[in-house]
Amino acid sequence: MGHHLTVKRLSKSFGSLPVLDDWDLQLKSGERLVLLGPSGCGKTTFLRIISGLEQPTSGMIKKETDQIGFVFQEPRLIPWLDVKGNLRFVDEQGDIGEILTQLRLTGFEDYLPSRLSGGMRQRVNLARALITRPKLLILDEAFSSLDFKVKVAIMEDIQQLWLTHRFSIIAVTHDLKEALMLADRIILLSARPSRIIREIEVELETDRSPSMSGLLRLEAELIDMMCGDELNG
Amino acid sequence: MKSLFRALLGIVLLVAAWQLLAILLNRSIIPTPATTFRQMGELISSGEIIVAAGQTAWKAFLALLLAMLIGISLGLCLGLSGTLYDMFRPLLMIIQAVPVIAWLSLVIFAWGIGWRGPVFLTFLSLLPISIFTTISGVHNLDKDLLEMAGLYRVPRRKVFSKIYLGSLLPFAIAILDVSIGQAWKTSLVVEYLCGGSGLGVKILMARMNIDFSGVWALTLIAVILGLATERLIKEGLKGIFRSWVTI
Repeated sequence: MGHHLTVKRLSKSFGSLPVLDDWDLQLKSGERLVLLGPSGCGKTTFLRIISGLEQPTSGMIKKETDQIGFVFQEPRLIPWLDVKGNLRFVDEQGDIGEILTQLRLTGFEDYLPSRLSGGMRQRVNLARALITRPKLLILDEAFSSLDFKVKVAIMEDIQQLWLTHRFSIIAVTHDLKEALMLADRIILLSARPSRIIREIEVELETDRSPSMSGLLRLEAELIDMMCGDELNG
Repeated sequence: MKSLFRALLGIVLLVAAWQLLAILLNRSIIPTPATTFRQMGELISSGEIIVAAGQTAWKAFLALLLAMLIGISLGLCLGLSGTLYDMFRPLLMIIQAVPVIAWLSLVIFAWGIGWRGPVFLTFLSLLPISIFTTISGVHNLDKDLLEMAGLYRVPRRKVFSKIYLGSLLPFAIAILDVSIGQAWKTSLVVEYLCGGSGLGVKILMARMNIDFSGVWALTLIAVILGLATERLIKEGLKGIFRSWVTI
C-alpha cells in the first residue's frame, strides 16, 4: 500500500513563536489517522500546511494527491447560496443527489444555510468536501461544536462513506471518543511547540459505537497517557 | 395599531400648531392648513403637478442609478486595491466636502439651465456614499469564504460572482436605503437653482410670483411624494433583506 502523504522534519513558527517542532509522519492510502493533542498545540496549523493554506518554516511534505476535501471547524457555507448552490460552487459535475442521500440531506437542496441546524450545516460542509471526490479527506475539529448524538450520527455516516470510497482521512480533535470512533491510528501530540509523542494503532472493528467495550478500554488507556507528564510538555 | 394611532395623533397636533401659527402670525406668509390643502387639491387635479413630479423623479432616479453603477464599480476597484484606495481617497474626500453651490456655477457655465445640472449634482452628492459603502463592503468580506474557495481551486470568475457580488448585495441595499431620500431632496434643490423643469422649478416660480400658499402646497406635495417613494422602495428592499438578516 502506497503512502498518500509523507512529512519529514516539519517545523512551523509564527514569528518567534514555535508551533510545530520536527514532525515526521506518513499516511497510507485509505488510512484513517487522527491527531490528538491539547488545544492550541498546532493541529489546525498542520492541516493548513498539508492543504497548502500555510507554508512550513522548514521540512518537507510529499503529497500523492491534490484531490483534498477539507471539512472546516466552522461550516464556511456561502450564506446566500442554498445547499445545492454551495455544493455546485466547488464542483459543477459531481452527483449532488447521491451525496445528499448518503449524508441524509435529501429534501434540503433548496435550503439556505440559515434555515439548517448546526448538525445539518456540518453535514453540508462534509458534503461539499466529498463532492470533489477527494483522495484525502481532512477533518479539522469538524464536530467539536455539535452535541454528542449528532456527532455520533455524522461519524457513522463517515464510516459508511469511507467503506464505500476508501479515501484517506486525517482528522484532528481533542475529543478521545471521536478519535477512537474514527481512527486506524492515533498520533498523540505534546503541548506547543508540539511534537509527536506516540503513535497508537487502533485495532477495533470498522463498525464502531461509542459504548463498545474495546473502545472504552482504549479510551481509559489514552486518558492515562494524556495525563502523563510527557504529553503535557 | 398603537403606533399608528400615535403617529396620527402627532400629525393632528402638527396641523393644529400650524393653524395656530397661521392665526397668530401673518396669514399671507403662513397660510392656514385649509388654504394649503385646497391649493394642493387644485394643483393635483390640474395634472400639471404630476408632470412636474415625474420630471423631478426621473432626474433623481437617473442620478441614483449612475451613482450606484459607477460608485459600486469604483468602490470594488478601490476596495480590492490598497494603492488605488490611497490614490483616490483625497479626491473623493474633496468631492464630498465641496458644497453644491460651488459646483453650481461650473454646471451653469457648462450646461446652462436644464436637466443635466440636477442630474450631475445629485449624482455627485451620492457618489461618495456609494463608493465608501462599497469599499467598506469589500473590506468586510468574509476571508474564510475566500480561503475555502482557494482551497477548492474555484475559478476567479465564479469567486467574483458568487462571493464578492453576493457579499456586496446588503451594502448595495444600504446605499439605496441612504440615497433615495437624498436623491429626491438634492434634485429638488438643484432644480430650484438651475433646473429647467420639475417640482423645484414650480416652487421657484411660486416664490417669484409671491404665491406663499403655492410654495407651501408644492413643498408639502414634494415631501409627501418623497416620503411615499422612499417608503415604497424600502418596503421592496425589505423583502430582499429579510433573507439576509437571519444569516
